[in-house]
Amino acid sequence: MTTEATEVTVEELATLMKKGAGVTVDPHDLEARVDTTFAEFGLDSLGLLGIVGELENRYGRSLPTDAERCKSPRAFLDLVNGALRTGA
Amino acid sequence: MSADRTRRAAVTGIGVVAPNGLHTDTYWKSVKEGLNVLDRITREGCGHLPLQVAGEVRGFDPSALIEETFLVQTDRFTHFAMAAAAAALDDAGLSTGAADSPYSVGVVTAAGSGGGEFGQRELQKLWGQGSRFVGPYQSIAWFYAASTGQISIHNGFKGPCSVVASDEAGGLDAVAHAARAVRRGTDVVVVGAAEAPLAPYSMVCQLGYAELSTDEDPARAYRPFTSAACGFVPAEGGAVLVLEDADRAQSRDATVRATVAGHAATFTGASRWDESRAGLAHAIRGALDEAGCAPEEIDVVFADAMGIREADTAEALALTDALGPHGTRVPVTAPKAGIGRSYCGAPLLDIAAAVMAMEHGQIPPTPGVFDVCHDIDLVAATARPAQLRTALVLSRGLMGSNAALVLRRGPGSLAQNDKENS
Repeated sequence: MTTEATEVTVEELATLMKKGAGVTVDPHDLEARVDTTFAEFGLDSLGLLGIVGELENRYGRSLPTDAERCKSPRAFLDLVNGALRTGA
Repeated sequence: MSADRTRRAAVTGIGVVAPNGLHTDTYWKSVKEGLNVLDRITREGCGHLPLQVAGEVRGFDPSALIEETFLVQTDRFTHFAMAAAAAALDDAGLSTGAADSPYSVGVVTAAGSGGGEFGQRELQKLWGQGSRFVGPYQSIAWFYAASTGQISIHNGFKGPCSVVASDEAGGLDAVAHAARAVRRGTDVVVVGAAEAPLAPYSMVCQLGYAELSTDEDPARAYRPFTSAACGFVPAEGGAVLVLEDADRAQSRDATVRATVAGHAATFTGASRWDESRAGLAHAIRGALDEAGCAPEEIDVVFADAMGIREADTAEALALTDALGPHGTRVPVTAPKAGIGRSYCGAPLLDIAAAVMAMEHGQIPPTPGVFDVCHDIDLVAATARPAQLRTALVLSRGLMGSNAALVLRRGPGSLAQNDKENS
């Protein structure tokens, strides 16, 4: 198990989508549709890039370049949390 | 160019966001009354700068007009443009996307600057916190093309899109560019300009302009064509028009508010106001020629009115150079004396005022100007009733551009005009 400090939750992602890109999405809805594309939630590629930047600043480390290319919340969270766990 | 001369570009929608009105109708009422809304600048972080008076857009709430996903990635100048575009499309009866195809609608904006406020915020993060703290929307928000992009994305318009960056007079050039697109076959072009130059960084950029008025008295800061002329004051805001093939407009029962009949532009060098006389006169002749319009047909001139003696003299003389004796007889007005110059937005606001002047048969006055020291018939103090069929709009930029645009009254305006003046 990972600790709270090194895992980005669906709820946090929803907050970041709102703060960084102005996309309002209910965390429960995001959880239920975690394989839906970011585009369908209204998040564009620059918006996702901003979220990556915010997380990199928060955790003080770089994330894989593929992070900003993830198409869905699940793909993004899997990649980011995997990287945070391994310290990549 | 194989522009189809039988296609005419009609104005079927107008949207305004201006210091003297957040809606087209309130703007016209303020312009007609000759309100002077120039005032002390209250925008955050600007109080210490040696530019104290401007035309501020106040009470504008972008969050009530624009979706949050667009708000976070756009500057105030784009907020103005998007709000004005929505109003113009609504006025034209196209707010629900009545276009036959997304490719039949284009977008053109003019810009003299860009997103200065947004850009300053991000650059302060750059040198305050580091490059990792600059948001990615900085890459698009500051850019002078942002308003064209966001209007097209927001409305799904995929027709010809462009940005005209040719100084303040580029506002007229953009309308001419849009009219050409319509004549070449694009059904509808959303065209306009809005600027937001009242933010600390943007204001510092303007402080070097010799023509900038730094008079701290709002009643005295911008008095073009008078012996007390001491420069111009900047302003926020602008206007957006819906230009449309006139036949198409009539076939869908849209009101043709005016048609764009002619335009020409010249360049005579930065702040060479003496030389702008010949440049402006040449532009006027070119616009009349394209419109097939005799000098005597011009019923009103919306002047550039730079507000410094040398430039005002050049403009007054250019009118006589191009129009002959009619140049001293034709009524001239400069509503911008009451609202300031919103750079590329200024000529768009003048077009909006000219169209409504023709519709209402009223020449709006030049606020705060009484002691005219040039040989022109400047409309001062109060609006002047007049039958107006053709209007000439002039614009110059600090960097040397000069442009003239001829507008013809729409066919629907005649009855209203006659009724109001009977």
